[in-house]
Amino acid sequence: MAGWSRRGFLGLAVGAGLTAGCGPEARKLVGRGLPEDLEPPKGPVEVPLRLANRLGFGPRPGDLGRIEKLGHAGFVTEQVAADHEEPLHLRMKARSLEIDQFQPADLEGWPEEYVIRQLQQRALLFAIYSPNQLRERMVDLWTNHFNIYARKGRAMYRVSKDQTEVIRQNALGSFPQMVKTSAKSPAMLGYLDNTVNRKGVPNENYARELMELHTLGVDGGYTQTDVQEVARCFTGWSIENRFMHAKGQFRFDPDSHDEGAKTVLGQTIPAGGGIEDGERVLEILTTHPSCARFVAGKIVRCFLGDERLPWTDRLAEIYLLTGGRIAAMLVPLLESTDLLDGPPIVKRPFDFLVSLLRAVDADTDAGAGLQAHLDKMGQPLHQWPMPDGYPDQAGAWTGSLLARWNFALALTHGQVPGTHVDFDALGRRTPVRDLIPASRPAKDVEDDRDHLALLAMSPDFQWR
Amino acid sequence: MKRSWWSCDGRGFRSEPPAKRPQPAALESDLPSRRSLLVGAALGAIAWASNRSALAQVAFDPSSRDRGVLVVVFLRGGADGLNIVVPYAEDAYYRSRPSLGIDRRSLVDLDGFFGLNPALGPLRKHYEDGRLAILHAVGSGDQTRSHFEAMNAMERGLPDVRQGSASGWLARHLSATEPASPSPLRAVAFGSIMPDSLRGGTTAIAIESLQDFRLMIPKGAAAETIQARLRDLYRTGSDEMAIAGRETLDVLDTLNRLTPSEYRPSGGAQYPDSDLGQGLRQVALLIRAGIGLEVAALDKGGWDTHVAQGATAGWLTYLLEDLGRSLDAFATDLGTAMKDVTVVVMTEFGRRVAENGGLGTDHGRASMMMVLGGGVLGGRVLGMWPGLEPDALEGPGDLPVTTDYRNVLSEVLQRAGKVDLGSTFPGLEARPVGLFG
Repeated sequence: MAGWSRRGFLGLAVGAGLTAGCGPEARKLVGRGLPEDLEPPKGPVEVPLRLANRLGFGPRPGDLGRIEKLGHAGFVTEQVAADHEEPLHLRMKARSLEIDQFQPADLEGWPEEYVIRQLQQRALLFAIYSPNQLRERMVDLWTNHFNIYARKGRAMYRVSKDQTEVIRQNALGSFPQMVKTSAKSPAMLGYLDNTVNRKGVPNENYARELMELHTLGVDGGYTQTDVQEVARCFTGWSIENRFMHAKGQFRFDPDSHDEGAKTVLGQTIPAGGGIEDGERVLEILTTHPSCARFVAGKIVRCFLGDERLPWTDRLAEIYLLTGGRIAAMLVPLLESTDLLDGPPIVKRPFDFLVSLLRAVDADTDAGAGLQAHLDKMGQPLHQWPMPDGYPDQAGAWTGSLLARWNFALALTHGQVPGTHVDFDALGRRTPVRDLIPASRPAKDVEDDRDHLALLAMSPDFQWR
Repeated sequence: MKRSWWSCDGRGFRSEPPAKRPQPAALESDLPSRRSLLVGAALGAIAWASNRSALAQVAFDPSSRDRGVLVVVFLRGGADGLNIVVPYAEDAYYRSRPSLGIDRRSLVDLDGFFGLNPALGPLRKHYEDGRLAILHAVGSGDQTRSHFEAMNAMERGLPDVRQGSASGWLARHLSATEPASPSPLRAVAFGSIMPDSLRGGTTAIAIESLQDFRLMIPKGAAAETIQARLRDLYRTGSDEMAIAGRETLDVLDTLNRLTPSEYRPSGGAQYPDSDLGQGLRQVALLIRAGIGLEVAALDKGGWDTHVAQGATAGWLTYLLEDLGRSLDAFATDLGTAMKDVTVVVMTEFGRRVAENGGLGTDHGRASMMMVLGGGVLGGRVLGMWPGLEPDALEGPGDLPVTTDYRNVLSEVLQRAGKVDLGSTFPGLEARPVGLFG
C-alpha cells in the first residue's frame, strides 16, 4: 500500500524529537505532541488513525492494524457497505431495551428518565460497539440534522421509532427518503408543532425548519411567503388520536387540510390536492439544487471540518445526479487525500466519550453512570432543545474540558458505575506505559491508570 | 479527598505562572496556607458576610475593580414581547389575540399604556423604584425570522448576520478593554456550552456550577503528579482546546480560594431552583467575592411558543415566573451593589401579532428588552411605539423594529466604563435610547 508511506510532511516535521521514546502503537493511538506554532493542531497523521477517527469514533485495540491491512480504499468500501454483523453482546444489550419493543403510544406514561436513559443507551452502545462505524457517524450527523428534543411533550416516547425508521434506516441511503419519512414521523410532527397546523390557523414551525434546517438552508432561496405557503400545504399532517384507531401513528386529517391552491418556490400547487400537497412540497424541496448544496455542505463539514468549495460543489452535483444517494456522495470524499491532510476537528463530548471507551476497550452498560458524565460535558443525547442540533464548532465546547478530565479520571479508576476497564487484558495487547505522549516525559507517573487518564486528558485527544 | 487537590497548596501549579496570563507576584506571597484555607472554610459564612475577600482583590489588575459588571440574560427561542409587556391600550392587540390577549385588569400597569405580564409581578417594585427600565419594539435588522440567523446576528453584535465579524460582541468588548492582568473569571458563561457572544478572541469560561467546578482525582491516584503533568500537557499549544485548558486550570486555582457552598444571599433573597435562578445566584457570589468578574452570560430557553403559549396560565407564564423571581432575587441579594451591576434581558426576535391556531404565536420581528440596575433611570417604557394597526405592521403582520438593540447595549457599555464601540459594534451610528436620562 503506497498510501501508508505517506505519513505526511507534517509527520516528519512534527514527530521528530517530540515523540522519542514513544512506541509506535502509542503514537497511533494518541497522536503526537505538538509544537506551539501550529494552529489549530495538525493532529495525528497516521492514516489508519485518521480514518478510524473520521469515519467512526476512533479505534479499538487492534483496529489500526486491521485498517492498515485493508488500506484506505478498502476500509472505505467496507464501511460504506456497513454490512458487518453486529456482535452478539451488542445485539443482546440492544434487545434488552424496552423502548424498541413497544409502540410509542404504549410507552406513554412510562417514567421520563427511564425512557430517556434507554434512548441514550441505544445510541451509546451502537457507537461504542458496532463495527459499522461509518453508519454510526452518519446516525450522529443525521440525528442532529433532524434534531428532536426528547423532553418536549411526548417526543421521548416517539424518538426511538424516529431513530429506527427515519435515521438508521436511511443513514447511508437516500436523503430524500429520510426527509419524507421524517415528515410523517410523529416525533417530528409533535416536536415542530405540525399537529396543530390546521386550515385557517396555520402554524409555521415545521414549514420553516423543514426548509431552513432539513433541506434548503437559510440561504436556499425561500421567502417568508414560502414559509406560510408550505405551512398551508402541511395542514392536516398530524398524529392519530381518534378513539378505536391505532393511536400515535401518522394521520392525514382531510378536515384540517387547507384545500386552496398554493405557490411554493414559484411552483403552483393546485387546489384540492389533499395529502399530495405536502408530498409535492417534499419532492420540490428534496430535488432543489439548494438542498443538494446544503446537504453536501453538511457532509463535507462533518468529514473535513469545513465546507470547502470544490468538495461541496462536487457532492452537490452527485446529489442531483443520483437523487440524493448518501453513499454515492460519501465515497469520493472519504477516499480522497483531503480527508487525511485536513486540519483536525474537535470531538464533541459524545465523540470524546465514545472514542475513549473504544480506545480502552471498556465494558459498559452505557447506563445512568456513564450518561451522567455526558450530561456534565454538556451533550446529553436527544436533549438539545433547538431544532438545529448540537453545535460542532470547537469554540462551543471549550467549557467541557474539566468534565472531560473528570470522566477520564473516573473511568480509569473504576469509578463510573456500570463501566469497567480491564487493565490486565489491555496491557497484554498494548503496553499501557507506552500510551502517554512521550513529548511530555512522564517518568514519575507510575500507575497505568494514571497514564491512561492523562492520555485522555491531553489536548491532542480532544481532536479527531 | 472531597475537594481534591485544588484545596491543597498545589505547589506544582503556582510555582509556574500560566503561559498566557502571568499573575502579579503579589499573589504568590499572599497565598493562604493550607491551614488558613481550612479555617477559612469553617468560617465561610463570616467570610461571605464581609462581602469581599481581601485575598482575592490583590490578584488582578486593580482597575478591573472599578469596572461595572454586565449580566446578559438571553431568552432563546424568540420571546413574545407583546405578552410580556402588553400594549393594553391598543384595541388591535385584543383583536389580534382573542385567546392569548391578557385582560388589562390582571396586568401590572406600567404607564397607562403598557402593562407587565402578571407573572413578572416580582419585578414591579424594581420598576416602581426606578431600577428597571423596559424597551419595546427593539430588535435587529434580521429579516429571515430564523432563530439561528437572528441569534447569530445579535450575539455577534451585528445588524444582521450577513455582515461583518465572526466573533461575539461580548468577546470583542472584552478584548478591547482587556486590563494588563485580567482575572481568569473576567467573563463567565453559566452553562455547559459557550454562547456565541463570548466566542473568539477572549478568555471566557463556561461553568455550570461553581461548586462542582473542581478536578476530581480518585482515591489512590497520584494526585500531585497528575496535577503537575496535566499542567505540562497544557503548557503549550495554541489550539482552542489547549488555550481553554490553561484557562480552566487558572479558574480552578482561583475558585480554590472560594467556598461557594457557604454563600448566603442577602436581604432574604430567594433564588428559584432553576438554571437561571441558580446561575444568577452564582453571578452574585462572584460579584461579592470581588475576583474580577466583568461579564456574565446566562441563557434561558423555551420561548419558541408556537403552541400552548397561554394568556395568564400556560407555558409563557411558567417561563416568566422563573424570570421574574430570578431577577428579583438577584437584585434583592445585591442590594446597593446593584449600582455597579447592569442586567440586560434580550431575545432574538418577538412573535407575530396575531395568534395562530395552536394557542401560540409564530416568529415575528421586534420584541422587548429589560435593563435592571447599573444606575439606569428606570420606571419607564422606552422606545418608539409603532402601533399594532395592520398598516403599522411589517411582513406577515409583525411588530416593526424601531430601536436597534445595539443602541441599548452600547449605552449600557458606555455607562459601565471603558468601551470601544467601534470594535464592539462596527458601523453602528449610536442613537442614545435614554436609559440614563
